[in-house]
Amino acid sequence: MNDSERSVAEAAADALRQLKEDIEGAVLDTAEAIDAYRIRYLSRKQGQITALMKRIPDVAPEDRKAFGQEINAAKATVEERLEAAMAALAGSATHQTAPTDLTLPGRSQPEGSLHPITQAARLITRVFESYGFSVAEGPEIEDDWHNFSALNFPPDHPARDMQDTFFIEEADREHGGILLRTHTSPVQIRVMEEVMKHGQPPIRVIVPGRVYRNEAISYKSYCLFHQVEGLYIDEGVTMADLKQILHAFARTLFGEDVRMRFRPSFFPFTEPSAEVDIWWKDENLPGGGRWMEILGCGMVDPNVLEGVGIDSEKYTGYAFGMGIERIAMLRFGIDDIRILYENDVRFLEQFS
Amino acid sequence: MIISTNWLNDYIAHGLTDDELADRLTMCGLEVESVETTGSSLEGVVIGHVLSREAHPDADRLSCCTVDVGSGEPLDIVCGAPNVAAGQRVAVATIGTTLHLPSRDNPTEKVAVTMKKAKIRGQESHGMICAEDELGLGDGHDGILVLDADAPIGTPFSVWLARKGVALTDSAIDISITPNRPDAISHLGIARDVSALTGKTICAPKVEIPAVGGSVSKRMSVSIEAQDACHRFVGILVEGVDIRESPDWMKQRLQTIGLRPRNVIVDITNYVMFECGQPLHAYDADTLAGRSIIVRKAKGGSTFTTLDSKERTLPAEALMICDAEREIGIAGIMGGENTEVTDRTTNVFIEAAWFEPSGIRRTAKALGLQTDASYRFERGVDAEGQAWAAKRAADLMVELAGGTLVDGMIDVHPVPYQAPVLPLRAQRVKDIVGADIAPSEMTRLLQAIGFGVAQAPGAPLTWQVTVPSFRPDVEREIDLVEEVARLFGYDNIPEPTHSRLPNFTPGMAADRQRREQLRDVLSGLGFRETCTNSMLPTETAARFNVASLPAGRFAGAVVETLNPITTEMSALRPSLLPGLLKVAGHNQNHGQTAIRMFEFGRVHTKRATDRTLVGDYTETETLLLLATGHWETGAWNREAREVDLFDLKGVVDRLIGALGLERPRYKEREADAVAAWGLDILIGKRWIGSLLRVSDAAADGFSLRSAAFVAELDFTSLADVSSQTLRPRFQAISRFPVVERDIAVVVDAAQAAGPMVEAIHRAGGDWLRGVTVFDLYEGEHVGTGQKSLAFGLRLGADRTLQDKEVDKTVERILRTLDSEFGAKLRG
Repeated sequence: MNDSERSVAEAAADALRQLKEDIEGAVLDTAEAIDAYRIRYLSRKQGQITALMKRIPDVAPEDRKAFGQEINAAKATVEERLEAAMAALAGSATHQTAPTDLTLPGRSQPEGSLHPITQAARLITRVFESYGFSVAEGPEIEDDWHNFSALNFPPDHPARDMQDTFFIEEADREHGGILLRTHTSPVQIRVMEEVMKHGQPPIRVIVPGRVYRNEAISYKSYCLFHQVEGLYIDEGVTMADLKQILHAFARTLFGEDVRMRFRPSFFPFTEPSAEVDIWWKDENLPGGGRWMEILGCGMVDPNVLEGVGIDSEKYTGYAFGMGIERIAMLRFGIDDIRILYENDVRFLEQFS
Repeated sequence: MIISTNWLNDYIAHGLTDDELADRLTMCGLEVESVETTGSSLEGVVIGHVLSREAHPDADRLSCCTVDVGSGEPLDIVCGAPNVAAGQRVAVATIGTTLHLPSRDNPTEKVAVTMKKAKIRGQESHGMICAEDELGLGDGHDGILVLDADAPIGTPFSVWLARKGVALTDSAIDISITPNRPDAISHLGIARDVSALTGKTICAPKVEIPAVGGSVSKRMSVSIEAQDACHRFVGILVEGVDIRESPDWMKQRLQTIGLRPRNVIVDITNYVMFECGQPLHAYDADTLAGRSIIVRKAKGGSTFTTLDSKERTLPAEALMICDAEREIGIAGIMGGENTEVTDRTTNVFIEAAWFEPSGIRRTAKALGLQTDASYRFERGVDAEGQAWAAKRAADLMVELAGGTLVDGMIDVHPVPYQAPVLPLRAQRVKDIVGADIAPSEMTRLLQAIGFGVAQAPGAPLTWQVTVPSFRPDVEREIDLVEEVARLFGYDNIPEPTHSRLPNFTPGMAADRQRREQLRDVLSGLGFRETCTNSMLPTETAARFNVASLPAGRFAGAVVETLNPITTEMSALRPSLLPGLLKVAGHNQNHGQTAIRMFEFGRVHTKRATDRTLVGDYTETETLLLLATGHWETGAWNREAREVDLFDLKGVVDRLIGALGLERPRYKEREADAVAAWGLDILIGKRWIGSLLRVSDAAADGFSLRSAAFVAELDFTSLADVSSQTLRPRFQAISRFPVVERDIAVVVDAAQAAGPMVEAIHRAGGDWLRGVTVFDLYEGEHVGTGQKSLAFGLRLGADRTLQDKEVDKTVERILRTLDSEFGAKLRG
């Protein structure tokens, strides 16, 4: 092969390589583009492939066959793409002329949805995560220690009647009994125990989860529900801080003009303890509404802190807990808790 | 606990309306659940004199009366009561009077009725002669209320009642008492808080406590053997009582708070308990063998008949009141039938004691018997209140039952009360509450509810606070802080206007991030999330405790609760599947034909594993996908199509892809009680779940109308294996074209495609970017017992691949398929 033949062959091969890439990559979504594509490669006068074919005789004889095959393959690709593009365009609603009755309904896609309890839980956790709380979880089958004793419920105390409990194993001398947790507060203990293994407060955590109560099932109570628990332990934490964060939370959920009140209450693991009500407007009621309890809270009892090895003189903290169902029912206007667990599609699809 | 406002007003002139009172109580920690007004003013009801009574000419049960109501002309009134007679003084509702009468359909409901001139069976009637219930004074409807013969004719009935001490209206305030407020389970206890809130003073009944000893100690003896369980026993004797009905005012008050009046002695013990919070018991003194009382523990197992005539088996350690011969009462819970006050009782021995709270609670729990007395004892009654209460009851028995007080008092008091003294630091109150409460305000608030406050010497400012005997719940400084905060008012605590930021933003735990991500993917794929009950019948739980499902793989036992609500909810779910099958059946029965659902939830099994946190229980989170009925619904341009396993398999692939993991492997698995057939899903060597066609036996009873395809994934494992891929790493995108080649091979019809795809991946090496199976054919064009599989191969590299290189790779793949599976290129 002489030098001129070599350079011709190299130039042709380069051109061919570039051509292949262009052929594969071109976008053919309109009639204009398809037309231009056809002209660019196959036109008898301007077509690039036509031009390359005319150069076959210039290629050295030993390479000629391979070169010809390459060009033919490229040509076949162009023809295939043109055919496919025209077919696609003919069946497409983007075509210049409407192919068929456009008022026919579109191809439906199945509709999915998240359960309203999930939606409410996400909302609640989002608010507290934005205040720097992390999320922890814990077991639903708990021991008496975490569910009651460590939370300052004395044995044989009426406070234990506040939460009707499902038992799994009776207490014996060595073990305190095993039960279905009645609240998410045992996770407070687990989190504090974990932190105190290699550190000290601050602790700032929320705990969503499923809890169980051995109560008759009715429109307002179910044998299980979901809670979100919050815990913040640090130096200098006061009830004023607790009021501040819960007020901020209530404004996010129920609007800037929400009215809320803190009234004294009792939980064994907090002292002072409070229940928080918001004013629920209802024109059908005398007075234009009523107070609705949304959560319980308080300052973590020193016994609880000391029980996990936290110095209750140095650190103080608050805890709060709310029922996710209650929040969901308030937000969505649901009046019977049982419908949340029935999972009727006609109910679920309202939360798509 | 319900309190009567009329009753409360005896002790404190608070000057608040019912609503104000309810609000103030609620905001100091005594949550008012309801306020109900009882009675009516009875305006228009006057006292009348029945001048004559004649039988109604046309009705056997009616009488025609003339009644003088002091207005000149006597009124003609038709009356249906059998007891009406000439000469009686009666209450007459005149025309225009509105009464709240018991509804005919439901006697517990009242309807407002206004009296009008009426003709009853042809006879005119100008009013109504009233029965007790029609006046709201009680339940009596046996006949009209006949008044004392000297009741003044024409006087408004309300005026006459007021002279007899009966109030026409009252309000029942229902208060939810938290377990830390034993002091507030009585009218005087509530009055103490009202006094602290309003600054008004309490006016308690004057009671002169007799000296210990005297005649009573010669006639009765009391000894306490179980001194740890009974710290004090006070006894007073009243002789010669007349067992009669209580006066109207007392009956009315008891009714307002929901008690049924019995007789004057029993009513007085109840009245005093609700007055001051100290439970009392009245014995028929003549039935007490040996005229002695001994307090001791039961041996347990024996039976005892309480005064409600029920025979009860006594638990061991139950504290019993005994006389010289036998048990006569379960201490602090309920007295015995053998010594109760009856119609024939003349001498009454009054017991007022202090019993140890947790012992009372254990016995009451064991007996399944909670009474007004046990409710108070297990919370802790006033350690110093026994003598006052016993004497108060005795005074009332003298006054209302015609009894004679036997002088003196028995007071056995083996464990004297010592008032705790607690330090309280002013700074500690500020540190907890976060409000700037003046020290003088703190002391004022504590003193208002009976605490003694003395400043300790030195700085910082500290007080020595003496706890009153009626506040056994106050044991620590923090309890005092709470008292100050609650009376100061939580609403008065100012919220900070600024706050510090936490010094880091916490990250989201891997499992939670994965869960939320999959929820979004699944809802985007048209799945609906469900939330089902964790509890189900044991039999159902056992049916789904199988090795093809994540919890069943642990081969543990079904977890049951000891005290289920019903047998329908006796066990904890070992799988989310039964709950979802129930939901699917429910929805099919309500017209849904295309069902795609998912749920995240905990499943339980009894077996210790490396996941165990509590006892021998393993709790695992799983993700269940269920599809049944139509996968694609029909439309003008599309046929409806039933779901099959490959639909769900594609979803599982998509989920695992979304987690950034390598392709899962699938292995056919054996059938079991739940799986008709299906696949195990593996990532690397780790089992992460199964993909099943639910067997008809397992679906039995869930009223499904179509085959259910499900995947239950062990989410705990899935989150674990995907924790490394949480933060994707960028990889350069190839600028070079990908080459596609199709190959079709013929293999034995029984040959599974999955291993062939895996072999292609192995043989294809790095250049192989993807494999699809785009055709599967069995029929005349291939031999019998054979099938054709067509694979689409995508090849690429960081340069343009030469045709020869691609050909070589394809040839290598074909050789591998031939040698491993006997697959021949289809001609």
